[in-house]
Amino acid sequence: MIAQLLNGIALGSLYMVLSSGLAMIYGLRGVTNFAHGSLYMAGAYVAMSVSANVNFWVALLAAPLVLAIVGASLELIFFRSLQDRNHIEVGLVTFGLSMILERVIVLVWGEQTHTVSPPELLTGSMSILGASYPTYRIFLIVVALVMAAALVGWVQYTRTGLYVRAASRDVQAASVLGINVDRVSLIVVCVGGALAGLAGALAAPYISVSPTMGMQILITVLIVVVVGGAGSIGGAMVAGMALGVLQTMGNIWVPALAALIPFVALVVVLLWRPQGIAGKKA
Amino acid sequence: MNAKKKIAYSMSAVALMALVTSCGGTEGGGDAAGGTEGEPIKIAVIPPTSGALAEFGTASREAWEYAAKEANDNGGILGRPVELVIKDTDASANTTLQAVREAVTQDGANFIGGVMTSTEHNAIAQQLEGLNALNFNSNGKDDALTGADCKPNSYRIVQSNLMDINALADSLAELPGETWAIQAVDYSTGHDAAAAFTEAAEAAGKEVVTEQFAPLNTTEFGTYITELKNSGADALFSVEYGADGVAFVNQADQFGLTDQFDTVLGFNMVSEPLFETLGDRIVGFKNNVGYDVNADNESNQSFVEGFEEEYGETPYYVHADNYLAAQTLFAGIEEAGSSETEAVREALKDLSFDSIVGEVTVRSDDNQLLRPSQIGEVVEGEDGELEFEILTTADASVTTPEASDECTM
Repeated sequence: MIAQLLNGIALGSLYMVLSSGLAMIYGLRGVTNFAHGSLYMAGAYVAMSVSANVNFWVALLAAPLVLAIVGASLELIFFRSLQDRNHIEVGLVTFGLSMILERVIVLVWGEQTHTVSPPELLTGSMSILGASYPTYRIFLIVVALVMAAALVGWVQYTRTGLYVRAASRDVQAASVLGINVDRVSLIVVCVGGALAGLAGALAAPYISVSPTMGMQILITVLIVVVVGGAGSIGGAMVAGMALGVLQTMGNIWVPALAALIPFVALVVVLLWRPQGIAGKKA
Repeated sequence: MNAKKKIAYSMSAVALMALVTSCGGTEGGGDAAGGTEGEPIKIAVIPPTSGALAEFGTASREAWEYAAKEANDNGGILGRPVELVIKDTDASANTTLQAVREAVTQDGANFIGGVMTSTEHNAIAQQLEGLNALNFNSNGKDDALTGADCKPNSYRIVQSNLMDINALADSLAELPGETWAIQAVDYSTGHDAAAAFTEAAEAAGKEVVTEQFAPLNTTEFGTYITELKNSGADALFSVEYGADGVAFVNQADQFGLTDQFDTVLGFNMVSEPLFETLGDRIVGFKNNVGYDVNADNESNQSFVEGFEEEYGETPYYVHADNYLAAQTLFAGIEEAGSSETEAVREALKDLSFDSIVGEVTVRSDDNQLLRPSQIGEVVEGEDGELEFEILTTADASVTTPEASDECTM
């Protein structure tokens, strides 16, 4: 059972990293970034290439960096110029971007699925409370938890974090009070992209790398963001971890219904607490 | 935007996402014919271009394109050019059915190939007589397609699950391992294979101690692998293929799962295009091998040489099975002296011909192609590259059961 719990925490860690970036962008820009899954996939491909040509540790830094630049491009070219348009329209633009990105990845790396080996230091298994468990998955959990703590610290205790919270709550009021909302948005979308890149780099040895990996995880991550409380970073983290554990346990206890668990969670949470776990009432 | 609006928007976004990803695209395409005269013989090729099966879809298309080019270079079939009508699908039955209807009613094709899953084949089989078209199934292995769901216009070129399982069963008694665990895709192919394997294992005096099914497109196999580790089994039978198979093998290696088994027997799990990706992890894995690329016959040697020249890669079973479908169709057209649907269907009844897998026969009772099956083990070749070493070859008379009573043409 310990190993299965760790499986759930590992999956939840991945959801946590990915959904926190999506929640940040959503909170500030009000845009459901359908390209977030593709950014995650692109992060995995960048990590795969850097890992093959340099090493995994460099890949772990390169993927977030490259995806932060992609995020900045998204903000400057699309989100900023489309900020006054209907949110559904912007959402559709991001969906189109995700399809383009997926096609570009297929053209460069092909349709086949790839595997990435973890570095020598993280291969094999280690004993956790008597259960033998792959070292790389423990590493993934640790990185995700450190990232979560750093992100919460940044948002809660830094001046930029204060601006992010203010702009997420009310963009116009924040702007009137002298906060440079465009600059805050650029930072948030960069950080969101970097988190997607980090999630992709972590997922490369954990799962495998394929052009469809972004689309496959996107619906679950969107559900995580809604369940967590639209736009709430902390809520998305809690919801991501909870959903990872629930899905894993569901695979054991109710395998025939396990695929429905994210959707059931969505319905239950929205009936019980329509604003999501950490969302504020309107 | 207030919280209520955000939630309503998020809900609609999730719903939109689910809707859009469930739909596939279609696009037209074709293959120019040269050096031939007369009305073209039109074949619709409808492989998946997205999702977990996309790489097999590409292979299917390549094989049909090669077969068409080869036929046209050799003066066509009955002197007429072969023209392909290529459509995209996402491997969902609805999208494929729509593509079939378009190809037949708008583009004038009356032969269909390249369709991937058994579910798609079953869906289009119901429509074939109305459309007056013939379908050549090179990929769908569901037994029912030549059983209760058989149709006079549907031909199965690839071995059925039961044929492959019978080939495995033929060698199962010789394989190390007394207690088996089954890990299969939660799909008709996975369930059929698991059921047939359990029957074969019991007949061979072996025991199946656990079986579990993971949904198609599963990426995280940790839960399943942990259960397998705790199952007490000393051998594994796995039916995970495509992207799912890669993820499963990769993660099984992380957990050191395969080390605890005396035998890892895959069903469509490892194949030549995955050797580079999966690497040393799969050395020693055994798997059904539907097509022996080294088969020593003139037709196969010509195919392998020509295909390598055209695509710069050695063909594997998806290429071969689709090319074999083209060989079957062309043999039928030549036997009929016509490309009319009815005439070709009559000509294909119990037709025997030389193919890349030796002499094969189209059994008219259920339209199953009778052909041999192999079991191979992944080994490191002399050049250090992975390859299949053929362990056993089972003749069609061993692998192919009598046509099902449930099949009425």
